[in-house]
Amino acid sequence: MSAPAAPRPAPAAPGAGPPGEPAGAPRAPVGRSWRAFAAPAGVLVAGAAWMLYVENSGLDAIERRSLAPHYVWEKTWEHVQLTAVSTLAVLAVALPLGILLSRAWARPGTPIVLAVADIGQSAPTIGVVVLLAVAFGIGFWTTVVALVAYGVLPALRNTMVGLQQVDPALTDAGRGIGMSPAAVLARVELPLASPVILAGIRTTLVLMVGTASIASFVSSGGLGDLITTGVTTQRTPVLLTGCVLIALLALLVDWLGGTAARLLAPKGL
Amino acid sequence: MSFWEYLGDRRELLVFETWQHASMVFQTVLAALVIGVAAGIAVHRSERLATLATGAAGVAFTVPSLALLGLLITPLGLGVAPSVTALTLYSLLPIVRNTVVGLTGVDRTLVEAARGIGMTRAAVLLRIELPLAWPVILTGVRVATQLAMGVGAIAAYVSGPGLGEQIFSGLARLGGANALNMTLAGTLGIVLLALLFDGCFVVVGRLTTPRGIRD
Repeated sequence: MSAPAAPRPAPAAPGAGPPGEPAGAPRAPVGRSWRAFAAPAGVLVAGAAWMLYVENSGLDAIERRSLAPHYVWEKTWEHVQLTAVSTLAVLAVALPLGILLSRAWARPGTPIVLAVADIGQSAPTIGVVVLLAVAFGIGFWTTVVALVAYGVLPALRNTMVGLQQVDPALTDAGRGIGMSPAAVLARVELPLASPVILAGIRTTLVLMVGTASIASFVSSGGLGDLITTGVTTQRTPVLLTGCVLIALLALLVDWLGGTAARLLAPKGL
Repeated sequence: MSFWEYLGDRRELLVFETWQHASMVFQTVLAALVIGVAAGIAVHRSERLATLATGAAGVAFTVPSLALLGLLITPLGLGVAPSVTALTLYSLLPIVRNTVVGLTGVDRTLVEAARGIGMTRAAVLLRIELPLAWPVILTGVRVATQLAMGVGAIAAYVSGPGLGEQIFSGLARLGGANALNMTLAGTLGIVLLALLFDGCFVVVGRLTTPRGIRD
């Protein structure tokens, strides 16, 4: 009888852990073996194959205009920009805030912050994006603010949870051998919490790719433009291209997040 | 027109759309619960299948809701059909995942003890495994409900029912009268519904968790 040995990802947060990592999978191959790059290569090949197929499938004038390679590339690049800028902004907000809120003196406030975060999380993204657009007008930065407002919560939650689950005996031991609180934080707590924090960042990245597709509703570009163009002009190839490229981008970013989590996690954990 | 005036003025429409939203989320999550738990039960005994199912759910999770809704327009057209399908598919992911995780997390010794005292496979599943896995499954259903609430708002883009209608009307009138009121009504309505459903889950969880494993 084989015991289910691998610790499963926390069930409460879908997408927070590595999805379906086979039990006992070797961690070493990253960066050393071609197999680590099979997934992203597959995604890129699939994207290229789709574009080749669609460009050669007898498009009409409207479709050709919306699917011109340079236009699609521009939209993809806008999408990547939105994702990258908002993810960086999320990290800049969530990490310091999470660290601050996990200090001993702030712990009584933790449930309150998490409750507020939960309520915020239940606001529909599209509603938040449109509300901000009504308040501040449309544009790139409005969308970034909306994406950040939405993406901060999971990253913040994982930072706090990650830091809180560090065994207090270890931080005490750190203090006991004469480390300053800052050194304990930097050399004991953060390294031990890093797998959970990195899982949160990965979730944020994937979330941002998906949410950025909503940017097209407030004229901030991105691949969502292809979907909305496809729907309004009733051109299925345009619509499908937008969907396929967003999904592929999300998979690519998920792989990126997973690889980063594996490379950055301290050895010995 | 102030927000309160707007709410009073459009009371009937807002109540109707709120009801539609709640009913759509409830029905899709219920359908996803039945399908998801059945799928979880079917795959959890084989480690390979279970890994495959949770992996597939993880990959499917990365597909953005707008893309999924867009993809469903081609086969299903606009309106209720693509909205309900997309919501059910999205709700399935956390439920399947948590069912598998919950069932594989059940202590093997308990299952073997139950087999040892002569219970059939079906009885073990119904009386040991599912009750023990239930809190984890219920967490999955809760996540699914939250998700369906948000995706339900975007469903209005493919002419789906519910409060998303208000948000998209607000977007269409951006800068005009009532744009803010409409968006605010739609957004706050969904937040309130989500909190209401979440409260229900606390109660349901209390009532349906077996006495022995309640905390």
